Amino acid sequence: MKRYLFLAALVLLLATPLSAHHSTAMYEMANPTTISGTVKRFEWTNPHAFIYLDVKDDKGNSVEWEIELMSLNHLRSYGWVRTTVKPGDQITCTGGRAKSGAPSMISALLKLPDGRELKS
Amino acid sequence: MKFAFLLAVLIAAGQQAAPPAPPPQGESPYRIAGRLPVRIMDLKVEPASIEPGQSVTLSWATENPTSVTIDPIGRVAPRGQEKLTPQVTTTYTLSVTGASNSSDKRSVTVVVKGTKPATSSADAASKVAKSVPRLSDGHPDFSGVYGYGAGGRGGPPPAPGSLPTTPVLKPGAEKFKIARAADDTGQYSTCMPPGIPQSFFVPYYIQVVQASKQIVIAHEYLNLHRIIPTDGRPHPPDPDPSWMGNAVGRWEGDTLVVDSIGYNDKTEINGYRHTESLHVVERISRPNFDTLQYEATIEDPNVFAGPWVIRRTFPLLPEYDSINEFVCENNRDYKPLFGK
Repeated sequence: MKRYLFLAALVLLLATPLSAHHSTAMYEMANPTTISGTVKRFEWTNPHAFIYLDVKDDKGNSVEWEIELMSLNHLRSYGWVRTTVKPGDQITCTGGRAKSGAPSMISALLKLPDGRELKS
Repeated sequence: MKFAFLLAVLIAAGQQAAPPAPPPQGESPYRIAGRLPVRIMDLKVEPASIEPGQSVTLSWATENPTSVTIDPIGRVAPRGQEKLTPQVTTTYTLSVTGASNSSDKRSVTVVVKGTKPATSSADAASKVAKSVPRLSDGHPDFSGVYGYGAGGRGGPPPAPGSLPTTPVLKPGAEKFKIARAADDTGQYSTCMPPGIPQSFFVPYYIQVVQASKQIVIAHEYLNLHRIIPTDGRPHPPDPDPSWMGNAVGRWEGDTLVVDSIGYNDKTEINGYRHTESLHVVERISRPNFDTLQYEATIEDPNVFAGPWVIRRTFPLLPEYDSINEFVCENNRDYKPLFGK
């Protein structure tokens, strides 16, 4: 019984992702943003992974967005590996964008070129 | 520590739904992500047929899981591969569960020529509780990778008469209580060592490596570590002030007691600064196979009216062999990202 209680607690714990080592106060978390673009670079590193995304603005100009993801331990627990996202991939990210208006966001979920959606 | 501010807690709940575009306003994107269903991407074994004594490679990949098991192996990482030498024809069943009651299952069979299929061990294995391993010296072995802790606020109530879990400041020591500006992302965003006990309270794993005369506690966060002697030696006289302190350990029954001094005054403990007189006594035990119990008693005669404690419970993660590398190479100055 104890083991089941533990497993139940563990499931709750794992189902309760925590943001990584800093606050998300600089991002607009209450009003999520979704953006799509082409991956320029993927940094598979701690304390956070980052994607640099080429996004077309309203006038068709390229703007480089900096997409912050979770830490490696979180990403691995969602099933990520360092090749999950590759340069050239067309992806869509949903998360909170920078309150300052800078082309920067923290992504909570991501749609890969084949339509798979992953926690990020 | 402003835990609610530092760590956004996102509860996976609610009905299963694909994230719509544009997302619903007013809902955290992490809540939306928390509903993503689990799926199995791959499960294969190569080769699928062997002679007795030969080996196979089992590999698997899952996405968005909250738990992943392979019968008859046990808990495994979301992705991985394992070299196996089954003695008889064996079926490996990958089972995953995820948010919104989503689940999936897939099996592969390795045929070992000339043998009969093994009967499933799933029921029997899951009912046998593993006991806490011990080293040859008789002490419980804490070695393993552990997830980040639970049991802070909302944890089990302290026993009557036990030390308080929040500090009382000494009169005149109010300046040691930390007040942060709204655009200050906190102590962890600087990538400086959090010290002890705070290194245990970040959302990164820890790993314990234990030998008979010393124990190593390694934190994924900043790859900080302590090599703690347990051979009965005392602290060196007047240790240099350091981020992680000078620690010596001793056993009290099955509990490892780690006494540490020699800290600098640059770290925080749950929202308070301290002086170089900080003294921390940690009590670490493994009450069952799956759990590491942690308690830190904190004293600083220049700051606190008396000792106080922080308790945490860390779950064993048997599916991981080691913590990740951690080099703070891409940390950001987040200040420019706040509203103007």
